[in-house]
Amino acid sequence: MTWISDLLGPFKGFAVTMRQVGKPRVTRKYPQEKRVKPPRFHGRHVLNRYEDGMEKCIGCELCAGVCPANCIYVRGADNPPDNPVSPGERYGFVYEINMLRCIYCAMCVEACPTEAITMTHLFEMSVTSKEDAIYTKDELLVDPDGTPNHPQAESPLIDVKELRLGDGWMRATSSAGRAEYEGVVAWTPQARNPDLPVEAGQSAESTGGDDG
Amino acid sequence: MPDTVSININGVAHDVEAGQRLIVAAESVGEVIPRFCHHDKLEPVGKCRMCLVEVEGPRGKVLMPSCTLLVSDGMVVDTESAVVKKAQEGVLEFLLINHPLDCPICDKGGECPLQDQTMQWGPGESRFVEAKRNFEKPIPVSDVVLLDRERCVLCDRCVRAADDIAGDPLLTFIDRGNHVQIQTFPNEPFSSYFSGNTVQLCPVGALTSVDYRFKARPWDLGHTRSVSFVDTVHSSVDAQTSRGKLVRVYGIENDRVNEGWLSDKDRFIFSAVHSPDRVTAPLVRGDDGFEEASWSDAMALVASRLGGYLGGEVGAIGGANNTNEEAYTLAKFMRSVVGSSNLDAQLGDGLNPHLAATVTPRATIDDLDRAATIFVWGPDLKETLPVLYLRVRKAVRNGATLVVASPAGTGLDAIAAHVVRYRAGSGSDVLRKFASGDKGYEGAREALDAGPVVGLVGRSSLAEDPMMAEAAAGVVRSLPDSKLLTLLTRANIYGALDMGLAPNLLPGRVSTADDEHAEMLEDAWGHLPRGTGRSTTQMLEDLASGAMRAMVLVGADPVRDCPDPGLAQRALEAAEFVVAFDAFVTDSSIHADVILPAAVWGEVSGTATNLEGRVQEVNASVRPAGQARSLNAALDDIAHLMGVDLRAAKVADVTREIAAVAPAYAGITPDHLTFESDGDGVIVPLEGEQPLKFIPVEVSVPVVTSRLTLHFPDALYDDGVWNRNAPTIAGLARQAEARLHPRDASMLPVHEGDIVSIEERFVMPVTLDDTVPVGSIVVPRNVVGTKGLTASTSVKVEAVEGGA
Ligand code: SF4
Ligand code: SF4
Ligand code: SF4
Ligand code: FES
Repeated sequence: MTWISDLLGPFKGFAVTMRQVGKPRVTRKYPQEKRVKPPRFHGRHVLNRYEDGMEKCIGCELCAGVCPANCIYVRGADNPPDNPVSPGERYGFVYEINMLRCIYCAMCVEACPTEAITMTHLFEMSVTSKEDAIYTKDELLVDPDGTPNHPQAESPLIDVKELRLGDGWMRATSSAGRAEYEGVVAWTPQARNPDLPVEAGQSAESTGGDDG
Repeated sequence: MPDTVSININGVAHDVEAGQRLIVAAESVGEVIPRFCHHDKLEPVGKCRMCLVEVEGPRGKVLMPSCTLLVSDGMVVDTESAVVKKAQEGVLEFLLINHPLDCPICDKGGECPLQDQTMQWGPGESRFVEAKRNFEKPIPVSDVVLLDRERCVLCDRCVRAADDIAGDPLLTFIDRGNHVQIQTFPNEPFSSYFSGNTVQLCPVGALTSVDYRFKARPWDLGHTRSVSFVDTVHSSVDAQTSRGKLVRVYGIENDRVNEGWLSDKDRFIFSAVHSPDRVTAPLVRGDDGFEEASWSDAMALVASRLGGYLGGEVGAIGGANNTNEEAYTLAKFMRSVVGSSNLDAQLGDGLNPHLAATVTPRATIDDLDRAATIFVWGPDLKETLPVLYLRVRKAVRNGATLVVASPAGTGLDAIAAHVVRYRAGSGSDVLRKFASGDKGYEGAREALDAGPVVGLVGRSSLAEDPMMAEAAAGVVRSLPDSKLLTLLTRANIYGALDMGLAPNLLPGRVSTADDEHAEMLEDAWGHLPRGTGRSTTQMLEDLASGAMRAMVLVGADPVRDCPDPGLAQRALEAAEFVVAFDAFVTDSSIHADVILPAAVWGEVSGTATNLEGRVQEVNASVRPAGQARSLNAALDDIAHLMGVDLRAAKVADVTREIAAVAPAYAGITPDHLTFESDGDGVIVPLEGEQPLKFIPVEVSVPVVTSRLTLHFPDALYDDGVWNRNAPTIAGLARQAEARLHPRDASMLPVHEGDIVSIEERFVMPVTLDDTVPVGSIVVPRNVVGTKGLTASTSVKVEAVEGGA
């Protein structure tokens, strides 16, 4: 009787279709409609600032060192003393992430001692050339008011508000993953203890040292 | 066979060499004990207490620092007991009390013994909540070193290295107890030629170098083992790169050569490789100055011009800053393609090539450790061969007697048992008295008779007759049980001489007069002009007079470096055609018609030979700047254009050819040289005797007299093109000054700080110095303000009116 089942074959397919009619849809009208992403979603990175506008990144290259895809390029430099970029002696002078290579593992976020680099929920990063996929410090750094930068203008496709959502993973794993450290920046950029006098050097050119 | 003792570590019995420190013995059998202050090359002090272990004694087990404890037979040691663990945690906790949380910005982070040992042996967590000490940071302790005192763990390594190794006691601990800190003396910077070593051996990031500060992190560094080309010692270095740029040079412990130490010039000159002033494309002289050209055009021009002269009308100067392979290719190119024997890697500033390349019996650097007496006749080692200076210091520390003869104070005087001072130009008189043990020289003579003697013989300054060194070598040679090291200083000059870049030498330490070898070489090369060529001085004279017409300059700057700069200037101006292979437009290459951009140290691979005849690998760590190429590759192409195949495009082919045709290098294979195999290189000749043996004999050298005779010594930080292009040390270049004995000064008359003129052209301030013999004037060569001064012994010195 195989010829009968052969004849009915196409209708079996329609039966599958018919069974689905009337059930709720799971596809979305992306990009008009967006899914709520889980709190630990790993989207594009941003470089954060302290409340006073100083950059958090100290150019330590820990993120670059830990990156399994080798896609972060950081160079540190001496902070100009009269116009420091970040607290402390060193700041991130060059900061680039190649988003085509990045595997969004958030190891950089875990490694960062200052919570300078965190991830956001933004994932729409289509580019027209490979060079554009390399995000530079200008693009990664949030504005002084905390608004993340994005190369594209705000549009239905770019929900800048989404960028403000921090990456839950970072919080959970900060400072050796201990819950009591949530929200605490463990590394202090303050090399000096304000309560103690500063001990000067012995040479004449060393500031504050006139004991020579 | 050294004695052994048997010790028991953690329940396992081991036989170890007697007389060692326990920490070293334990490490040799694979039991690593943590340490901060212990360092193989420094005397033990037992300061940090990190190396505590339990040792069984008559009163039971006690904690003892293993770095100060000598192994003894039957010693029972526990390095892992609970007590030891507690001690290690306690020591680390104390060390971290005032230690900042600086790791992310600390240059040591990632390669820091304190980090590593805290991870491995430290307590998991800090209990310290009190305020930490607070320092001004960082303070510059010298022009090249920065100090962050709060990171210091008070291990005393830097102090010991500065005091004992370098002999510059400029660092110390001040204050007591909780207030102790590492410091320089008031208003006395840590200006030592060896300060960079402390950066390398500081177990924390307390001492960091100005030029590496925040440049890179250890995990993004590439490492290449090579040798330093700053002088002829060829210290083993680790050239470290990040993103295609050299960022740091560290010393490697090669016990036969530098024992891990470097001079600051070795360490910091690399930045000149990336100087923006490098020549990065061929330059051809056009109607108005140099114009960039393509390699093919520039090489075609060079080939056609050089092909248009008779061999003898062309000469080549330089090749001392190149690898052996490059030098060999230059010698082969000049002799077999151009047909000229006018070759000289020295600029009239060195010694007889036969003496330098083939002196017998030749000493090795580690012969110094076995010598009873070391005799130095020549330049100030501290200024010219600083790492050899450290080796001499070490030998003297271990009991050798040092005899130093020189026309002015040298760095070694302080530790010398006998200092012989002579007036510049009158060395032969003194040498004669000295050799016969005349009155006043008996002590020195007696020391020399107690062998084994190592004689370090060179030319004390450019103003001295090069025969003087031969005379001194003759005296050393006449002593029983003596060996000789000659003291040329320029980079790979010994390699260049061995490769035949001298008018009277063929590759492999063969004299041009040796017909048998010349015939063999002619078979290998196809063509070989016979006879001796012209030296640099003769070439410059002949160019100036028109007897020669064209010149090939290879990384040489005769206008700065030869004894008569005026002659060099005239010669290069008179030459019809000059081609310069150079990395920079120098005072000499500016006269060239074509400048071909040369790849330099760090960009080329090959081999090099140091002053004891040790052949070592040189490895490229970065790509050549711009279009720069290695000399052998460029010459290979030019030779092709002239219709000859040099077979020199690949370095490995040239190395093989050298082993085949250069007698002293016979049998050398890459296996001998690769750093993986042994790492320390080999002394040539490997087997048999070299064909030419120069036996120095006593010769008489005419004494030069004038009212004031010139001593014109080299300075470590000079105004040479490399030093100028290395920003870290460029500012350290010496300034011109005339050092005079107070008696001579009073006759001029001048006082300290007054201005004198030399040869009516060079003006400089006067420094009074009673180590200068009466009748001498000491002026540093090639420093800011002495460029162009002719190195003749008798000079005219006048007080300048209105001097300050
Ligand atoms: S982002 Fe963080 S980890 Fe990366 S360089 Fe900056 S401070 Fe260091
Ligand atoms: S010295 Fe070592 S432990 Fe101290 S801050 Fe630097 S890297 Fe960290
Ligand atoms: S500065 Fe470094 S080397 Fe010197 S005592 Fe301190 S920790 Fe040791
Ligand atoms: S290593 Fe032994 S006390 Fe420091």
